[in-house]
Amino acid sequence: MNWLTLVRVLGSLTCLLTIVGAWFIARRNFARLHQRPEVSLGLTTLPANAFWKLSALAIIAILPLATIAVANYHTFVGIHEVQACSQCHVMRPMANDLHDPGSDTLAARHFKNGYIPTGQCYACHSDYGFNGDLAAKLEGYRHLARYTSRTYTEPLQARTRFDNHQCLKCHRGKTAFERVHMHKDVLARLESSNMSCLNCHGRAHPTRADRTPGSARYSALTKPPVFSEADHE
Amino acid sequence: MQNGDEPGIDRRDLLRLLAGVAAANALGVATWAALEALLPKGNADTWTKAVCRFCGTGCGVQIGMRAGRVTDVRGDELAHNAGVICVKGSMLRALPYVQGRLTTPMIRRGGKSSPLTPATWEEAMALVASKFQEAIAAAGPDSVAFYGSGQLFTEESYTANKLFKAGIRTNNVDGNPRLCMASAATGYTQTFGKDEPPGSYEDIDHAECLFVIGANPFHCHPPLHERMMRRKRLHPETTIICVDPRRTDTADHADIHLAPVPGTDLLLLNSMAQVICADGLADLEFVKRHVRFTDGSATIEFDAFKAFLDASYAPEQVSQELGITAIDIRRVAHRFAKAKATMSLWTMGLNQRTQGTALNAMVSSLHLLTGQFGRPGATPFSVTGQPNACGGVRDTGALSHALPNGRVVANPKHREEMEQIWAVPAGTISPKPGLPAVDLFQAMGDGKVHAALIMCTNPAQSLPNSAVQTANMSKAFLVVAEIFADSETAQVADVLLPAALWIEKEGVTGQGERRYQYTPRLLEPPGHCRSDLAILVDLADRLGHGKLISARTPEAVWDEWRQVSAHSKYNFAGITYPRLKALHGLQWPCPTPDHPGTVRRFVEGSDPLVAPGTGLEFYGFPDGKAVIATRPYVRSPEMPSAEFPLQLTTGRVVEQWHTGTMTMRIPELRDGAGPAHIEISPSDADRAHVAPGARLRITSRFGSIEGLARISDRCRPGTLFAAFYDVKLLINRVVADHVDPVSKEPEYKLTAVRLELAQA
Repeated sequence: MNWLTLVRVLGSLTCLLTIVGAWFIARRNFARLHQRPEVSLGLTTLPANAFWKLSALAIIAILPLATIAVANYHTFVGIHEVQACSQCHVMRPMANDLHDPGSDTLAARHFKNGYIPTGQCYACHSDYGFNGDLAAKLEGYRHLARYTSRTYTEPLQARTRFDNHQCLKCHRGKTAFERVHMHKDVLARLESSNMSCLNCHGRAHPTRADRTPGSARYSALTKPPVFSEADHE
Repeated sequence: MQNGDEPGIDRRDLLRLLAGVAAANALGVATWAALEALLPKGNADTWTKAVCRFCGTGCGVQIGMRAGRVTDVRGDELAHNAGVICVKGSMLRALPYVQGRLTTPMIRRGGKSSPLTPATWEEAMALVASKFQEAIAAAGPDSVAFYGSGQLFTEESYTANKLFKAGIRTNNVDGNPRLCMASAATGYTQTFGKDEPPGSYEDIDHAECLFVIGANPFHCHPPLHERMMRRKRLHPETTIICVDPRRTDTADHADIHLAPVPGTDLLLLNSMAQVICADGLADLEFVKRHVRFTDGSATIEFDAFKAFLDASYAPEQVSQELGITAIDIRRVAHRFAKAKATMSLWTMGLNQRTQGTALNAMVSSLHLLTGQFGRPGATPFSVTGQPNACGGVRDTGALSHALPNGRVVANPKHREEMEQIWAVPAGTISPKPGLPAVDLFQAMGDGKVHAALIMCTNPAQSLPNSAVQTANMSKAFLVVAEIFADSETAQVADVLLPAALWIEKEGVTGQGERRYQYTPRLLEPPGHCRSDLAILVDLADRLGHGKLISARTPEAVWDEWRQVSAHSKYNFAGITYPRLKALHGLQWPCPTPDHPGTVRRFVEGSDPLVAPGTGLEFYGFPDGKAVIATRPYVRSPEMPSAEFPLQLTTGRVVEQWHTGTMTMRIPELRDGAGPAHIEISPSDADRAHVAPGARLRITSRFGSIEGLARISDRCRPGTLFAAFYDVKLLINRVVADHVDPVSKEPEYKLTAVRLELAQA
């Protein structure tokens, strides 16, 4: 059992406890509490008034908050995995291309060469997720609203600039990067994401043309991705 | 909840609950709406497809704009370049806003020695027209000239060519493509009967052997280099062979680098051909069906061609002079011939040579000998230098010997055809070919050309032997349509006309793979700038040729031009403006509006002009066969001597475009390139006691210049290198101006020089 599954079980348990507890609380007639002044808990006894107040606090506040926390944690950690991204079919081309050994996109090359063995999407798009900035979360909310309301059109096109620091965090300082003097020419623009690294280094994912419904590659790119053990490690 | 014994909810609670749910949903939708409105949209509000302003790769770009300004430029992933551009293309965003634009016409009111002063368009154009009329009246039509550029739009070059050849009646129409692509044009024409590359960039994606000779795509055509690297990454068995006297960045990425002695590479090509023939690597079936051999005057048999090679070009015979071992010659010849598909790519290293035509033709001949032609990945591909040298100048025939679509002035039938198409009286087009670039400027010095219009180029910096040629051009009445007032050419102009730049006008460019692409007008030109087309139309009116130049908008000119092409084997009548605006370029031939364009020329199934059933037809020649000629090696007049023991070769760097007039004004590109240096090998530096950064004087038979030394093992001993973008190192002042006898293209790549430390 991996950590994420454990979190999922824990979340389910807290959720179940909340529901059961809420049911009990809802059925309890608090006016008759005086008929049983104490509640025995085995090791100790508590005044019924205190017990039910504590129970209510746990069920109304603590357990739901715990559930929310665990669920959010699960979501934020879970979306680091490529499986989570490819649950939306518009993301499937990215996942399928990533695993295509014949593809020369940056994503596929990074995967093929072992630079992103896990959390492939998140490795380059880590401005979302648990540690992501507010803007990324707001953008994520917008994506969610668009997706669930089906108010998007394919092929998707990024609305905002990709943050070049996602590239620079690994490449900067490396010999292969530093020896290309053109990088120095435009470093300020790269750092401010004012110029795309893709300009010189090509596509990161399949083209919009390929991701357009009806294109020759559309069916192949949008089939449900098959994940290997490597994706889960 | 009621106050009773059992829990429950009443109607009011239900309404409250529903109201709460509705409010929560409304909050969610409101948040979404707010995010849609407020979240940043990157650097631009709108994106429009266009074409890069710089090199002949002709990359598709997307122009991002906000509030009427260009705020971003990205590679167009749907164009042939699949989104890849270079550092120059990335900095296109700064181009419309560079400082120092010429925004008003300028004239010299008091003769040559007086300063240029602002004038109205009316004043300037009236002066231009009167000087041209004066010259024509005094010394005939050949006393005026047009010198254009592979950077004008096609509509502009076409109009200039028509105005001067069918209006003014002079063939003195030439341009800077003479300096870079003329040998490619003559090489193709002599081999296939038609100019322009038969293959496409996408052949890189299929080649198993990439033979790069006389080219440095890493610096000069970076997206093509990236495409080669992509091929290598996906198919590691692909062999990249780089032939270049310098160990360039391209050579660093190659599997095999051969560094010949500058000026000797025809020995390599002939020797490869000898090995191919002698070792049984020739595709005799292909040769039999598709090739005719000639010795330059008569048809010969394959055996005679083989005997020519055996006599002088066996690897052991040429190895010493060539500077490449016989083993390496055999190795590359075998790889070239045996690969499933071999693609050759070359540029100025072969073109800018006194044997440029022979070198170009010989590369194509290697492909014909080995049958490396017409299949995906098998093609001889001359990579072009400028964004519209192919479409704008070679196709329109805007060169002194040429007429549109492969016709030549010297051919009476071709003149007659063009006179009919242009609806001008028989005999209008002069039978006398005009003056090619070097001769044209020399004629200004000789007093034979009195007035000239120069557009979109900077010959005072780019011509070989440029100090002498600048003095020559200053003797003529020089009209220069320019974007800056301080270029080397602008400084000797009598009239400066402020020209619109890049997306300040619309038009079509034809890049190196026969692909026409459309650039939209997205910005207002600054000040009083006008498009070059508007200037030409104005001049036509003032010279009395307004009726001839009846097409006055880019689209009208393009429509006329594509209909002209329908009368030729270039046929691109199907490439209409609406298609150009909608699509990411189309490759000709493309005869009808529903034709998808031609990826591989002369190949049945791809080229609509090939006769069915032929498979492969070189329709440029009556017998449908391509021509392989014997190409004897001739030593360059600029080989080293006791007086001039070193060889200077010139080229580009990735951050700079041509003479740097635009790119030296963009800080990232200026600082990235830095000042130009004279590159010298460590052994030559030791011998001459040259320290890094020392001030050197190099002297050739043509001139002398000082510059700073950069010691680099990229240069082979005996060779110096300098780029030509920097006005502080006007290297072309020492460059030889010998020309190829056929193409008339100068030999920039080879000048014998001597070196000394400059006096402090």
